[in-house]
Amino acid sequence: MIRAFSPFLALRYLVTRRINILGVLGVAFAVWAMLVVDGVFTGFVRDIRTNVENSAPPLLLTDLPHDSDFGELREVLADDDVVAMAPRLRQYAMLQPVSHKRPQRLKRGSSELDFDHTKNGFAMLLGIDPLLEPSVVDVDSWLQRGAAEVNRRNGNAQPSEVFAEPDEERRAELLLPDKVEWEARIDAGMAYEKKLEDHTSSLPGILLGWRRVFSLYPMGNGDPFEIVCAAFVDTGDGIAMRPYSKPVICAGWFGSGNRMFDEATVLLPIETLRTMLGHDEMDPGSVQLVTDVAIRPRDGLTESELVALQTRLQKRVQDVLPDDAKPCSVLTWQEQNIVYLRAVAQEHRMMQLVLMIVMLVSAFVIYATLHMMVVQKIKDIGIVAAIGGSPNGIGSVFLLTGTVVGVIGSILGVVLGYLSSIWLNPVNDWLYATFEIEIFPRALFDLQGVPCHLEPSWVVTVAIAAMLLAIVVALIPARKASRMNPVTALSFE
Amino acid sequence: MTAVLRATGITKNYAIGKREIPVLRGVDLSIDPGEKVALLGSSGAGKSTLLHLLGLLDAPTSGTIEYDGREVQSLHVSERARLRHQQVGFVFQFYHLIPELTALQNVLLARMMGSSVFQYWGNRKQAKQSAIAMLEHVGLGERLNHRPSELSGGERQRVAIARALLAEPKVVLADEPTGNLDSHTAKEVVDLMFTIQQERQLAFLLVTHDEGLAQRCDRIIRMKDGCILNEQTVEQA
Repeated sequence: MIRAFSPFLALRYLVTRRINILGVLGVAFAVWAMLVVDGVFTGFVRDIRTNVENSAPPLLLTDLPHDSDFGELREVLADDDVVAMAPRLRQYAMLQPVSHKRPQRLKRGSSELDFDHTKNGFAMLLGIDPLLEPSVVDVDSWLQRGAAEVNRRNGNAQPSEVFAEPDEERRAELLLPDKVEWEARIDAGMAYEKKLEDHTSSLPGILLGWRRVFSLYPMGNGDPFEIVCAAFVDTGDGIAMRPYSKPVICAGWFGSGNRMFDEATVLLPIETLRTMLGHDEMDPGSVQLVTDVAIRPRDGLTESELVALQTRLQKRVQDVLPDDAKPCSVLTWQEQNIVYLRAVAQEHRMMQLVLMIVMLVSAFVIYATLHMMVVQKIKDIGIVAAIGGSPNGIGSVFLLTGTVVGVIGSILGVVLGYLSSIWLNPVNDWLYATFEIEIFPRALFDLQGVPCHLEPSWVVTVAIAAMLLAIVVALIPARKASRMNPVTALSFE
Repeated sequence: MTAVLRATGITKNYAIGKREIPVLRGVDLSIDPGEKVALLGSSGAGKSTLLHLLGLLDAPTSGTIEYDGREVQSLHVSERARLRHQQVGFVFQFYHLIPELTALQNVLLARMMGSSVFQYWGNRKQAKQSAIAMLEHVGLGERLNHRPSELSGGERQRVAIARALLAEPKVVLADEPTGNLDSHTAKEVVDLMFTIQQERQLAFLLVTHDEGLAQRCDRIIRMKDGCILNEQTVEQA
């Protein structure tokens, strides 16, 4: 039972001793820092996860043998829980602009070691089936985002319309309108018909990750490229490396939000890539070559049902693969990016740990102020004991003081943290506009705004932890006060 | 008549390093209800130590202390605090008021000791009225909201007296209550204390060096070197 004098004296000490404000501000700052910094990081992580999810199919059959045939796999993968699937073919290659407008040479004095992989045109070619891919991933949002990112950087882009081409044959090759390709050929010095009416588009379209737009030259919609890649083939006399090349044309930009994907990947029709690799559908013995199959499962599957589907599909595919084939995998979008996502999650945990130190510092401030108060109030302790204050009641005075400091500090910190999360972007914009100071460099992290998301559970955890910590550190001076000999306290000078 | 306070064979040793220093060497003392007792002695005789032991602020090395015939020195520390609140009122030489509180709040603090938060909250108006009445009784009706630093020495001691009496104790233990006051103020304070003592028939134990003040009590106990030297009524003295 708390005696009436304990809260009474605690409140009097709180009101009359300004040093307690230091404790309140310490806790408020710690809570604020933990909420805002973690809020930004949580928002950042959420954006990353959203972008990663956006860039990957819900399920991906991968780790297949090099000569896997989609025609065969499609039958094996048919399942009540699978609503769509699309073949994918990966191959490293180089992009070479086909243009008389050559890039400028390196400036005098600049280092040859100033090497940027995006400028020399290395790319991960991702062959997709334009007729099937949109049923598995949201290609339209990729195109919208790609154009938006270009425009945000003072470009002038419209989302590519090659996926909206009504003619299936033309769409399958991502062909540009005849007029666009005809003019591009003239501009690039390529062979062209004398009259536009005689020209029919034939260059397969490619979609560039928007990050290449500013580093590759030329870079506009309708600019032709040469794709160069190599493959090891069996010539009859043994295995030999054979280079392949293919002229293509830029049909637009995409942006999934996944930086690595957008930087490295070039989308092109899967048939074009198959042809380059010696598997033209007209060739004898050719197969519908795939390295991966993107799969969209039925909506509403529970986690366990999804795991069951993964296991089922993997087993079925493995059963039709040659006996000496390595195990194939059916991965969720998280598993496809597990290293990256784990690294981000680990960074998040580490940052929370570091922020705990801020909390400990504020706890130390509370301890120091309360300890000082006990020392300064020794005589009061003796007086209260003399008029009937129990040791527990005396200890409660200091415990309640620490508790109130913790509670007020936590509430203040939560309110400030909440307001900061709301005003983060306007304040960041204002600072940049007024002083050219950017606290959160959005461009550095490729973000449209400073992401800030306060998880309610984290807010509650931080607030309660701050209060509990304040109570725990207040226990030490409170115990000291309660154990003080009243006679010694009364004679203290 | 049963003594309101009785001490038997009280000893108290203090340890200084490995040495045990005896401060009280077997003190016997009893005070009847309504009796005024003066405790005289030179510095170091053990008067204040005895007062602290009788007021349950400290525990004796040996001996027994009884309040209303009930042995109390073996009680738990919280129980002793409760008993101190109910039975004992302290008045100190240096007033011992809490500087952050006003005169009224210092007095009210005595009422808060015995009540839980909710009990006190329910009776807060009545408690405040009692405290104001007590302060008016000691002549400080106009100084209720003054802090100790804004009061004179005599006024501070009056606040201390009001605080000691608000909880209606049976025994008042006063440790040189006029030792820090000029003679005129000291007389006023003593007159006030004794008036209230008469009104309420309180047992009064007064530690003092002042022979004149001791003569106004019913009984005088002289101490020397931790022992009671002699004990006599004022008539005998």
